[in-house]
Order: sequence, then C-alpha cells, then structure tokens
Amino acid sequence: MLKSDNLVSSRQFFIARSFAWFMLLLLGARYFQIQIVEHEIYRLKSNTNRIRKVNKNAPRGLILARDGEILVDNYPVYVLTAIPGEMKDKGSQFKLIADYIESDSSIIHSNYKKYYRGRFIPTRLAKDMNFLQLGNLEENKLNLEGVYYDQIPERFFPNGVRAAHLFGYVKEIDRSIRKNLKNKDAYELGDLVGWSGLEKQYEAFLMGQRGTSFYEVNASGREVGTASELDDTRPIPGSNIRTTIDLQLQLFCENLMTDKKGVILVGDPLSGGVLAATSAPDYSPDFFTGLITESNWKDMSTNQDKPLLNRYIQGTYIPGSIVKMITQAALLKQDNFDKNNKYHCPGFYQFGDRIFGCWFTEGHGSLNLVEAMSVSCDVYFYKTVTELSLENLYDTFNQFGFGSKTNIDIPNEASGLVPDKSYMSKRYGKSGWSRGVLLNLAIGQGELLVTPIQVLNYINLLSTKGSSPNSHFVFVDNLPQNVKPELSSDIWSNIHNGLRSAIISSNGTGKKSDPNFNDFLVFGKTGTAENPHGDNHAWFVGWADYNEKKYSIVILLENAGSGGAVAAPLAKKVFEKIIENSRFASR
Amino acid sequence: MINFKKLNIIETPWKIIFSASLLSSIGLVALSSISYQSPSIVQNPFFKQLFFLIFAFAGFLIAFLTPKYLIHKYAYVIYSLGIVLVILPFFGATHAGTYRWLNIGLPFNFQPSEFAKIFTVIALARYLSDNTINIQYFKSILIPILIALFPSLVVLNQPDLGTALVMISVIFPMLYWSGARPFYLFLLVAPILSILTAFNVITFSIWALIIAAVIFYSNTKIISGAGYFFGNVFFGLLSRPIWDMLNPYQQNRVLTFIYPEKDPLGAAYQIIQSKTAIGSGGLFGKGWGEGTQTHLKFLPVQESDFILSVIGEEFGFIAIVVILIIFGYLISSIIRNSFLSKDKFSSLSLIGLGSILLAHVFVNTAMTVGLIPVKGLPLPFISAGGTFLVTSYLMIGLIMRFSINYSD
Repeated sequence: MLKSDNLVSSRQFFIARSFAWFMLLLLGARYFQIQIVEHEIYRLKSNTNRIRKVNKNAPRGLILARDGEILVDNYPVYVLTAIPGEMKDKGSQFKLIADYIESDSSIIHSNYKKYYRGRFIPTRLAKDMNFLQLGNLEENKLNLEGVYYDQIPERFFPNGVRAAHLFGYVKEIDRSIRKNLKNKDAYELGDLVGWSGLEKQYEAFLMGQRGTSFYEVNASGREVGTASELDDTRPIPGSNIRTTIDLQLQLFCENLMTDKKGVILVGDPLSGGVLAATSAPDYSPDFFTGLITESNWKDMSTNQDKPLLNRYIQGTYIPGSIVKMITQAALLKQDNFDKNNKYHCPGFYQFGDRIFGCWFTEGHGSLNLVEAMSVSCDVYFYKTVTELSLENLYDTFNQFGFGSKTNIDIPNEASGLVPDKSYMSKRYGKSGWSRGVLLNLAIGQGELLVTPIQVLNYINLLSTKGSSPNSHFVFVDNLPQNVKPELSSDIWSNIHNGLRSAIISSNGTGKKSDPNFNDFLVFGKTGTAENPHGDNHAWFVGWADYNEKKYSIVILLENAGSGGAVAAPLAKKVFEKIIENSRFASR
Repeated sequence: MINFKKLNIIETPWKIIFSASLLSSIGLVALSSISYQSPSIVQNPFFKQLFFLIFAFAGFLIAFLTPKYLIHKYAYVIYSLGIVLVILPFFGATHAGTYRWLNIGLPFNFQPSEFAKIFTVIALARYLSDNTINIQYFKSILIPILIALFPSLVVLNQPDLGTALVMISVIFPMLYWSGARPFYLFLLVAPILSILTAFNVITFSIWALIIAAVIFYSNTKIISGAGYFFGNVFFGLLSRPIWDMLNPYQQNRVLTFIYPEKDPLGAAYQIIQSKTAIGSGGLFGKGWGEGTQTHLKFLPVQESDFILSVIGEEFGFIAIVVILIIFGYLISSIIRNSFLSKDKFSSLSLIGLGSILLAHVFVNTAMTVGLIPVKGLPLPFISAGGTFLVTSYLMIGLIMRFSINYSD
C-alpha cells in the first residue's frame, strides 16, 4: 500500500526546520519588545486602565462676624445620584423616582442632562432631599437601579443675616465657566467657585484643597476595591475668613431697612472696617443655591427696585449737600478766604441770567462758614465758590477719593464721577457749559455721582483728619493704601465745628440724628439730593465720638424726601443701638 | 484491527505527547487563575478544560491506535465526510452570525471545520504520494489545489477567514515536500501579494524588486521571466481601479474582513488590552491570579484566543519563551520525523499536520501582540475550547502513528 518512498532531501529538511524556528524567533522578538523594552509604557497603561480617581470636594471656609459668630456656614444636603451605566430604562426609573420624592420627572431629566459626565460617574438627579423623601426611596429601593445618595456641603446662613450682596454666592462650574477661569486646573466640573461678593474676593482662602481617592475598577467601570499602592489624600477644608461685620448691628440695620430702598453703612474710622452694610431691597442669600427656576430669575432681574444691585458699591448717586465739606475744605485752602466773613442768603442767587435757589427758599440771612454748614445754606457756597477754579474743587474731591474706586474688598465696585473741564467739554462741547457747573458741584449737584462706600470712606477720613485706613470687610494683613488728604489742623477743626454745629445748633439740619447721650458726640451732615428720575434722595452722613472710639455712618434713602427729616432719625436709631451694644459689651 | 505487536514502544516518539501535555498543563495553570471568579462549575474554564481533555485523550488514543494503512485506504472517504461536515452547519441556526458550529445535542457545540483541516491534509498526502507531480505544469497540481481549496472556500463562507487560511496554506509546505521548486510556489503566491501591496507605492515598489530578484536568481529564461514580472505588475496596477469600482459598503466589508481592528470598539480594543496585558507582565509577570488586565475583565476572550495574554501578564516573558521553545521542539521533532519517514504518505501527512500546528501557533501568538490582524484562531493545547482541543490531540495521535516506521 504505502509503497512510494520518502524522497525528502536533507536540504529540504534543513530549510523547513529553519523556517519553523525563524517564525518562533520572530514571535519571541516581538514579545521581548513588548514585555522587556516597552514594559514601562504598558505597565502605566494597565494602571490607568484599572485605577479611577475620585475627587472629594473640600468644604469651603466659613465667613465669620467680627466676634466669631458664623455668618455663612456649610450644611450637609443630601443629593440623589444615579450611575447612568447601571440604569436600564432611564425614562421609567425617572418616573418612579419622581413619584417617590413627589417631584416632576422632567426636572429629574433636566438635572440628569445638566450633570451627566460619563456612564459610570454618579450623576445628580435631585438635591435637598429631606428625610421623608429619603425614607420613601429607601422603602422602594428594590424597584430602583443604580440610584445612590451623596452628601454635599452647601452654604447656609445661620443667625439670620441677609447681607446677600456682601457674602455673594457660589456657582457650580460648568464647561463654559471653566473655560474662562484663570486657574482652571484647580477646578473640575461640578466644583463650586465664588461668583460674587466675599465668596469671589476671598475664593483663594475659602476654596480649600480637594482630596483624591483611588479605586480599582473593572472593565465595565465598577469599583472593585481600593488601589492599595496609591495613597489617598484627604480634602483640606478652606480657611475661614473673619469679617469686620458686627452681627447685632448688621441685623439691626437690615431690620431698619425693611420695606425701604437705600443703604445703611456703619464703619469704624480708626480701622477702616465696615461694621454693618445693607443694600435694600436685596434677596435672600440662598436665592442662588439650588436650582433657580426661570420665572424666579425673571422676577428678580426685572424687578423695578433692582434687588440684584449692590447699592453701596455699585449704586451711583447724586450726593447733594453731604459733599459740602469738600467745598468747605477747598475754600479754606485758599489763602485769601476769610471763614468769618458773613454772606447774605436771600433764598436765591443770580448767576448771569440764571437763578440758583437755596433749598430754604425764605433765605438764611447772613452767615459765616460754620453757620452755613450748620444750616446747609446753598447761597453761601454759590457766593464763595466763585473765588475757586473748577480744578481746585475737582482736586479736593479727588483727595477724598471721589471719582475712583475705594478698593473695598468685594468685586464690581463702581467709581462714580467727578466732572472736570475735559469731561464737561466732551459732554457738552467746549462752549456748551459755563461756570454754573462750579456752583452745582459746590453743593453736590449736577453731574457729580458718588457711591455710598466712597461716602463712608470720606466720612472716615473727615473724622480721623485724613488718617483713616482703607475701608474693608475682612480682617487682612495688608490693606490697600487709602487716599490721604493733607489739610491744616485749622481746616480740619473748622470742618468738625460745622458738622458738630449741624447736630447741636437749634436750627441744625441734622439734629434729629442726635441720641442726646452723655459723651456720645455726633458730627453729621444731611443731604437732600435732587434726583432727575424721581423724588429726592435723603442722605445722612456723619460719625460719633464715643469712649475713644469712632463710629461712622452713611444713610441713603432713595426717593424718600429730605435728609434731615427721614435719614437723620434713622441715624439716631443706629446710634442708640451702638450705645446699647457697647454698654452691653462693657457689662 | 489493532495489532499490539506492531506497536513498537521503543520507536514510539513519546516526546511528542509529552510536549503537548506540558503545554496543556501550562494552559491549565493559566485557566485556573482566571477560573476562581466563575460562578459555577459548568462555566468554569478550568473544569471545562479538564473535561474536554478526557475526550481529547480518547481522540488521541483512537488516532494513535488506528493502523496507517486504514488511514491511507480511506483518506478520500474521510475527506468527503469532512466536506459534508463543514457544509452541515449551513442548514442549522447561526451562532453569533456565523455557521461555524454544529449543534449535536450536547451542552457544547461542535466545530466541524477543525476536523476538516486534518482530513484535508490526509487527502492531500494521499494524492501527492500516489502521483508524481511536476509543478511546472499547472495541470499536475490542479487536483491538489482543488482538494485544499474546496473545503477552504466552504469555511470562508461560514465565515471563518482564519481557519480557511490555515487550510489553504498547508498546500505550500506539502508541495514543497513533494519536490516542487520553491520558485514555482513563489509564483503561485505572487499575484495575491501583488494585489495586496498595490495600495501603497512603497510596498508595491519593494515587492516588485523582490519579484525581480527572485526571477533573476531562479535562472528563468528571459521571456518567461519578463512574463512573470510584468504579469504581476499588471495584476497590481489593475487591483486599484477594480477596488475603486466597488461601492463604499463593499469596500468596508472587505476591509473589516481583512482588518477587523478597523472597528475600534471591537478587535482594536481587544488588541490594545491584550498588548497592555502582555507588556505590563514584564520579565517575570505579575504572579498567578494577580493579572489586573485579566481579573478586571479588560481582556476579552481570555480563556481561548487570548490565553497567551493571560500567561504573558501573570507569568511574564520567561513563560512565553518556555512556551515558544516547547512548540519549537515539538514542531521541529515533527519535521524531523517527517524527514526520517520511510514512506511518502507518512512524511507528507506529518509535514501537513506540523504546518497546521505552526500556522496556529504563529497566527495566535502574533495576533495577541498586534503583529497581524485579529483572526479567531486558538493556541493549540493551551487555549480552552472543545473541538479544537480534541482535534489537536487527534493530530498528536496521528503524528505519533505516522512517526513509527513499519510497513503494514
């Protein structure tokens, strides 16, 4: 059967065997390349394959009042999350969840779309879960797939301080926000970033440092354990910041401003710290935490009273008589000016073919500088200011910081406006305006615009004779350099005399602000700013010397009428509260 | 039928079955590593493999104890049976879109194309030992080519490109073994390579140079040499316009057939994970049961086609070298026994079966490290798998039978 002989030559045998070994050698070489030469590359690859990094957000630092009371705190809220890869039928799951937590499945769906970052990354479905809702979910857990809870710290506001404009708010970082962040590497999607107010200004202190945990995951992305060779880092909470805010005074001022429009600022001229700051109307500080509905936002942003505007740094107002101390200082700086010289006020002043009226149309009669300050006579200044140049007056405004930002430590401050020659020429043409501008500027009318925080700084400077540190809300080591108006001591005491006289003289405009308390010396000036857009704005500015301490105050009531009649009595209430507090503290 | 007197214990090449058992043991170690997560014994690759090894040993004994003359006598009958077997799955249900498996009422399926490979080799050996071929005349190699081509085309339609390629490729070593000049074998393959290289100017130029060199050194007459050369160039130049005439979907179908890793989530993912597993194993590996790629399920089909990735990851380059050396020793022994065979039928059968083993080892080993496109070919003796394990041991039985020189 098997007759034919095998005729394979030894050459064929040699070639066949060499070929087989050559193939295997080739394979061995390839394995050598991958396992020995490129081992490190693949070792790293296999590690990144199996290790998942999970961030643990650091709680933000707290915001404290000057005596350590907590103004802005963290509160753990429960969020409902789902791992998308573990949900088979999202639509029906969302409906079930909506039933259990008595919400709408469309809200859950929109949350899901908003927070989705990957198939195996927990995605937020609902926030602020209460125990009833959690209980409901827990009872029905068997019907749910891939649903988990998470606890996240959220801002909350114990002690009932509103001060939403001061604290600001935090925002969750989405793609568009992250793109515009300066130090974007420090943040990941879903992190919180301070978006306004102190939260923004002191972000670097408050944010803390996120921690990282490493987990081993399998090919379908599920965690199967910890990665033992990598060390987890714990989150480092943000630093607390201590504000200069006096809790009791702040609450009191906020209360005073209920249903009013305007600003109360109380400061400490010796340190520059702000003790209380309110901008009314405002919004609840937790307005921006959680999800804002479209209609809520629309109501808030189109509200006629502008609750979203932080009036004390962003509102620019015509100051009226409260800047007469600038004119006073500018006059006194003139060598030939005689402060004791009396001028007659008939109730009006004719300048060229124009009539400038005094606020007291019956006329103040004849008065010197201090008397004019006391009753806030306009005609006195119309008459004396003709001696001055516009530059002169403009420079004095600048010396007290008007027309530029105070560098207060919350963002988005406005600079206001002090008109100079070039501004007027630009606006009205070279010959379109006259020295009448000077007359307006002298009594704080015309184009002049100030922010309440500038006014507070100005009062601080007046009360400390030019040495008050920069205004601020947070105790920090290095304050920005404040403006330092240089005036002779005679000029300072003349200004102080005028302001004291406005409180204590029988016809002084600010006398309704005096709490008439021993050793509590009030200095002040009222203002009734004519306002082209409506009723006059009422101002009261001033300070009190008390027990070697000073308390400065700025009150602005929009469209409220006369400063002496409405703002000064409010100041009195604040002063009384200050007295009460200090007696309480000393006891 | 079984004549025990003729079983010469001393002449029997025990080293062949010994090598195969050694490889299977290595396979079992790797399978036991990936098995401890298995939920049940039925799904446990280690126990499944042990179970199939019983069948494999039975297959080995049957093949080993079958007299050579019977195999020779019924070579064409078995071949025809093989053809029927590979056609049968087309009448059954598809498995994963293919007609590779035959449901035979057992808890596992049966893949007839594995057996068809062996039967094709036997039939080729029978034909080539009965007839003297003269490769210069195409007529004389037409029948052996048809013998290999017919089952290959059926398998290709299952579709199973890997098995089809292995089946058709045995013809080359067997023709060479029966005396064909390598030059003519080269001319047989050349047109296919001309078509494939034509899509890149550089590869095509290199290929043209190789053709020219081979023709030059083969002392061919100038006329026929030029004919071969320009014929191939013409084939290459023609392939591009024909390719462009195809619809994009047709082109895609061809491309994913040849290069499955074009599909990034399919084969490309497998290759990346397999290379990562092997590369991260380094010299000594991560240790038994410590392969993260394996145990965290990054590695696909780890118990069968990618078993070498498991071994590479957990036992390192050392283990790979040991496996390659054992395979080398085994195949080299087969070639040696083939060379020493007294009769041509045994010699051709041995070289054919050896070629099948080498083709499987090369394709599987090269595929797991991305040297060649992914072809679903398991690694003999090591990979888990029913039919293939049984046929591998069947081949070992045949190889040992053919290695014993006696006349029936």
